[in-house]
This record gives sequence, structure tokens and C-alpha cells, in this order.
Amino acid sequence: MLIRLENDHFHTVDDRFTAVGDDEALPDSDAVILSLARFEAEGTALLAAGRDVGVRVGPADRVEALVDVLPQLALVALDFPKYRDGRAYSTAVLLRDRYGFGGEVRAVGDVLVDQAWNMVRCGFDAFETTVGPNAWAAAARRYRHVYQASADNRAPAFAERATKARDPAARVG
Amino acid sequence: MSEQLKVLTANDLAGGQVVFRTETGWSDRYADALIYDDALSADAALESARAATLTLADPYLIDVAAVEGLPVPTSYRERIRALGPTIHPDMGPQAEGGVLVHALQQARGAARSSGRLGLIRRK
Amino acid sequence: MFHYDAIDAAMVADRNAEFRDQVQRRLSGELSEEQFKPLRLMNGLYLQLHSYMLRVAIPYGALSSAKMRALAHVARRWDKGYGHFTTRQNIQFHWIKLSDTPDVLDYLTTAELHAIQTSGNCIRNTTSDPFAGAAAEEVDDPRVWSEVIRQWSTFHPEFTYLPRKFKIAVTASPQDRTAARAHDIGLVLRRNREGRLGFEVIVGGGMGRTPYIGATIREHLPAEHLLSYLTAILRVYNRFGRRDNLYKARIKILVASLGAAEFARQADAEWEAMDRPKVDLPDLELARIRASFGLVPFRTLPPRSERFEAARSDPAFARFARNNIVAHKVSGYGIVQVSLKGIGEVPGDCSADQMDALADLAEQYGHGEIRVTHEQNLVLPHVPLDDAPALHAGLVAVGLATPNINLVSDMIACPGLDYCALANARAIPIAQAIGQTFADPARAEAIGELKIKISGCINACGHHHVGHIGILGVDKKGEEFYQLTLGGSGAEDAAIGHVLGPALGADKVADAIDTLVEAYMAIRQPGERFLDTYRRTGVGPFKAAVYPDAHQA
Repeated sequence: MLIRLENDHFHTVDDRFTAVGDDEALPDSDAVILSLARFEAEGTALLAAGRDVGVRVGPADRVEALVDVLPQLALVALDFPKYRDGRAYSTAVLLRDRYGFGGEVRAVGDVLVDQAWNMVRCGFDAFETTVGPNAWAAAARRYRHVYQASADNRAPAFAERATKARDPAARVG
Repeated sequence: MSEQLKVLTANDLAGGQVVFRTETGWSDRYADALIYDDALSADAALESARAATLTLADPYLIDVAAVEGLPVPTSYRERIRALGPTIHPDMGPQAEGGVLVHALQQARGAARSSGRLGLIRRK
Repeated sequence: MFHYDAIDAAMVADRNAEFRDQVQRRLSGELSEEQFKPLRLMNGLYLQLHSYMLRVAIPYGALSSAKMRALAHVARRWDKGYGHFTTRQNIQFHWIKLSDTPDVLDYLTTAELHAIQTSGNCIRNTTSDPFAGAAAEEVDDPRVWSEVIRQWSTFHPEFTYLPRKFKIAVTASPQDRTAARAHDIGLVLRRNREGRLGFEVIVGGGMGRTPYIGATIREHLPAEHLLSYLTAILRVYNRFGRRDNLYKARIKILVASLGAAEFARQADAEWEAMDRPKVDLPDLELARIRASFGLVPFRTLPPRSERFEAARSDPAFARFARNNIVAHKVSGYGIVQVSLKGIGEVPGDCSADQMDALADLAEQYGHGEIRVTHEQNLVLPHVPLDDAPALHAGLVAVGLATPNINLVSDMIACPGLDYCALANARAIPIAQAIGQTFADPARAEAIGELKIKISGCINACGHHHVGHIGILGVDKKGEEFYQLTLGGSGAEDAAIGHVLGPALGADKVADAIDTLVEAYMAIRQPGERFLDTYRRTGVGPFKAAVYPDAHQA
């Protein structure tokens, strides 16, 4: 199942992308997701042909390699080979905050619902998961407050407190 | 030479206490443990314990050896685990006393710790 | 004493609701053990040798009397009537049930306590100076900065699944009581020549199987940039720290393999590229945190307390005063250290009754404040010297007046194989035997400062690498053996100890320590601690004393 986060709303969508393995033939369907290695070999041609291209970035891949083509990419899929491998969170933050990527950032692989809030906060907006959108949304919204700034630009606790200090009538907590 | 004797152990999932496979189920008392004397049935019991994921955590087999006719775990780690902390004889299964508890408390040395593979992951 | 506001309380409540749900999903089979384990660890719950163990955080080691009473209640209601204070200023309960844990955590919130991130591959509880707010020489209150780090690191979305655990220490005194150089990041607060507050940033220290003393990568980071710089370090580590080998996953290995200069270059580059104003803490919030710690209502007292001086005629009090009470920044006050190393007792253990008594004594004589030290002792940081005799009497009544701070029997020991699923050997019985060997308090005082640290396995929770004498338990062909190291230090003169010789059997360890001490006493020069003598002479005389036959082989 693919869940998308759009305008603060989690909902199930049909996946129009086809994930293509490195040894598989390219399908005729318009939108494909390639590994970073295959993209580096074939991506320019596909983009020139007007195809929608996404790139699957593994945890050891350096997302810096994509910086120049990011504006042309439809999505970046960040792979969690194990859910305990947290490298993709830093990659997502860099894509959003450092490189200003506005396309889809998709979590693929071992995606556990208990990590929904980590992913959303780090800038993911699409999730390949087995749980439904309601359960996913509940887990993503588990915490009413956050302590630190991240790619989701939620106001951290210190900003909420500052607002309250300016306007004591404002409710906190 | 006869086969290595084994006992099947685990922790109770909800309570955390050490448990041992008996003839009919699981017990907190090492004295109740079923002694396996053939590898095939021990391995089969381990497989079925691994499937009991709703009640057990981390089942594994330990080596035991007869000491004066009593089955005693060969590693000091497993003896401490069957008894309770050695610094608090009033705590854990050892508090109940008895011949077998005494035998475990007196046992020394023996083989290298068994059942310790993958423990860092177990933590 | 810092108090949570409504946001802090909501954060903990949301976390407890999340964990209650996760426990329920585990018990119903929705989560496998493999999926559940990292989640329960991040809530402080381990599966140990005999039972689950719950590790409760004590941020910057600071407890109020109310918090201490809550810990006593947990010990009585859900455990076996005691708790164990750890080398990371936490407390562990050894006999907790998984099915009780959500209730325990909910109860702890009534005293503003939690177990968040006390384990797991995330940023752990920040270590701080137990003398904070009481030590004369500190340049700022390190608790303020520890609280800044607590908030920033709590549920940090990017740094919850690091390659390995991550420990930060903050100190603001020249005397390091936090083992800052043995942490993943050690932060030493200083003022520069212009009087600006900043941090010496030390990275890549740690113990375990490959011990390192951390390297300084910034001499003076402006204090206001602490969070952005920490973010830069953590991001480099999260991306490039090793994940293929558990024993090579700590930041110390990354720093050592890149070299400190290259690591610093990468951290600086990340920091330069970052949107720093977004991440750094605004001055307003820093001021709020500072104010939330409040002021201790110290009285104006003469520097000399007649009652205190008169009580010194009691030799027991005089000994306690010499060893356990140190100078306070406020005239007429003292910092009273409470040893959890009674002779023959379990280092760091404290019964529920003792916790309650300490809560009362702290309220009566110490402004209701109690601190936990990384050396597994407790501190009443603000005691009027006039009240020290009465406090001492109260401590005697509950068996907590052992006058041995920094002496040979003030040992660190991990729980070892008596409790720990990872241990190779027991640590506590070794500590008990050494304690008995040096039970004579006059002899212990004559020996002077001597820090013995005992670990039951190479993970080094007992800090053996930085003990003046370190003791490491090993499994040698199915028997418990112990390897001795000499010359380590976890203080400002941090050093890793060197192995003395072949491991010894359990029954030989206390005698060997006695031999080492006698060798030191025979060759020490005036004013030398054991460590100083070792540094002057090297290992030779000590090795010859413990292994007299070695040179003949």
C-alpha cells in the first residue's frame, strides 16, 4: 500500500511508478524508479525523453550525487533495508532543507508504523507500508508537541513557549 | 559416549522470569525441567518454543551434565540464571532451596558458557 | 530544581501512551520480538538474566525529595524493594514485568520522571556535574545546558536510529566529575578572554572493547551555537558511522578512522552549510530554562560553623567530614557526599527505606535536593555546616554514613553476571571482597585516593579502562577470571589503563589489590596518590609485586 501525505492529510493512492530492478528491462509505463547506479547510467536519456523518473537511494548512497538533477526528478525513494537503519532520515532532511527538493520523498523497505512520526518530521511524504492510512496518521500525529526544528517546519516547544510568553492567553499543552 | 544432555529455557514474555520446558509445559523451577538426551527431540522442542512468540522470549538450549546423579548446567552463567543473583540468596528460584538448588550452588568450573551466541543482540 | 511545564508533561504522556500501545501490540503478536526490542529499549526496558530491567532517567543526576520518594515507591510496589544507581546517573530496577511497565511509567510521571531514551541507539541521558550549582569554581550551571540538550535530543526525528548509542557529558568546572573525555561528546564550558561562554567540544571518547580518550575538535564553540554544532556532529555520525559491526559502530571508531582533524572538517562543513538559526536555541528559551531551575534560598552564614567544629570531637563524624564533605561556593555550607559503597554492600544499590530516609534528610537539611554521581554515589549539594552533624546521625541510622568517598572501597561495579545477560563474569562479589579487605577505615584513609572500577565484560559499564585500578571479568574456559589494568583515569587527567598481566582467578583478586596497594605504600613519595606513583614509576614495581615469578619465566 502507498500512503501519501498531502495538505496535512494521509490517504491511500495508486502508485503510478514502477520500481525497476537493475537487471530488469525498462517497462513502457511512463513513470519508473531506478537505483542510483542505474539512474547514473540511463537517467539522462530517460529525462530527455520526458519520462517521470524517480531514484531509489540506498542508505550508503550519497544523495549529493543527485543535487544537479533534483529539480527534474519526480521522486526520491529512500530505502530502509532494516527499520533500525536510520541513515535515510538524514538524507531526507538534506533533500528538503539543504537542497530544497519539492518532489515526493518516499519511504520504502522495512517501514514500520512506529516510525511514522520520524519520517514525517524529516520530510517524507509517501510511505510504502502495510498499515492503513488511519493507523499511519495516528502514529504520525502521536506527539502533540515537538522539541526541535526539523524538515517539517513544525514549531518547536521553544517557539510555542515564546508565543505564549507574548500572549499569555494563548494555550500551551 | 552418550549424547550431550540438554534443557530448554526461555524468559516468560510478559513477566520476564526464567522458565524451563517441562514434560507438560513451562515452569519457573529448574528442578521441573525436562532433560533431553537426544539432539533431535531437543531441537524439535526448541523449534516449537520459537513459534510460541506470544508467551516466550528468546528460547534456547543449554548443556547440562550429571553431577552426583543430578543434572547441572555446565556453564556458571546458566547456573546463576537458574538460581538467581548469587549476592541475594533470598531472591529468585534459589530461595526455595532443596537438593538440586544446593547442587547448582556447589557446582564449579566445567565447560565454556553455552547458549551465549547472539546475546549482544538479545539485549 | 527544574520543573516541567505543560509541554514537557504532554511529551512524556504521549510517549507513555505510545509505549503502552507497543507493549499491547507485542503481547498480542502484532509486533515481533525483533521489531519490539528496539522500541522497548528506547523506553529503558531490557531483558536481563533473570527478568526485565527498567532504567529510569535522572536528567543531569538531579533528584528532588519527591522524585526520590517516587523511586522508593516503584522499588516497593513493582520491584523487590531496592534500586541500583548506575554510572550514567540513572537508576535501574532489576525485577520489573513487561506487563507492568506502562503502569510504572505512568506512575513515574506523577513525579516528573521517565525512562525515555535510557537505552537504544539514540541520544541518551546527558551526564552532568553532581556538584552543579554548589561548586565554587564552575563558570556556569551545567544543568542548564544539559536541559537544553535533553529537550533537543528527546524524540529527535533524525537521530533516533543511530548506528549505536550516543552519550553526551557537560561539565563547567576544571575538576571533571562527569568523565567527559570518555563520552561520545564531552562538553567543557569555559569563558574565553573576552568573557564569552563557550564549549570545548571533545568527540570520540568511549570505553567498551576499544577504549578511546576523546579528541578536542573545537576549543571554544560559542555557547549559543551548541545545538547546531551538535546537529552537525550527529549528522556526520548518523550518515557515516559504521553499521556493519556492532563493535565498530560508536562514533569513536569513526573519529579514529577519519582522524580527529578530518572528522572536525566534516562536522564544520556540515555546520557551515546548515540553517543554524533554525536549529539553535533562542536566547529567550535559554533564559526560561535558566530561570526554571530557580534559586536556592541560601542563608547568610559565617564561614566557620561552631556546631560543625564541635562535632569533630566525635571521631566517626570527623572521619565523615574529612572524606565525604567538600567546600561549597556559599559560606557556611558544605557539599555532603553519601556513599553507596558500604563495606560488603552492593555498589550503587539503595533500598526503598534508604531512599525515603534520604528524601526526608534532604528536605530537612539540604533544600530538598539530591544528586546522583557517575561513581554511583549520592550527594546532598546544599547542606548548612551547622546541620552536618545531625545529617550525619540521620545517615548513620540508615547505614549510609560510610566515610569512604574516593577511597579504595568507593568502587564502581557494574551489575555483572549476577543480573546482566551480557556479562562474562560477576563484578559485585569481587567488589564485596575488596571492600572487606579494606574494611579498616583508618587504613583506607592512609592509602588515600584510589579509584577501583570493575566491569563484568568488555562492554565496560563499570568503566574499568579509566580506573586507577581497573578490573575486567572474563570467561576463561568456563571459569570467571579477572584482568587487572593500572593507570586509567576518568577525570580531567583522563587516561586508559594498561593491562598488568595474566588474568587472575576470582579468589585471587582482592589479595592482588592488597599487594598493589602495599607496593604503592612502600614506594610512594609525599603527596602522591596511587595514580601519581604509577605514572612516576611505570608498571614495573606493581607487576613485580603481583607476578613475582614472571621475570624468571
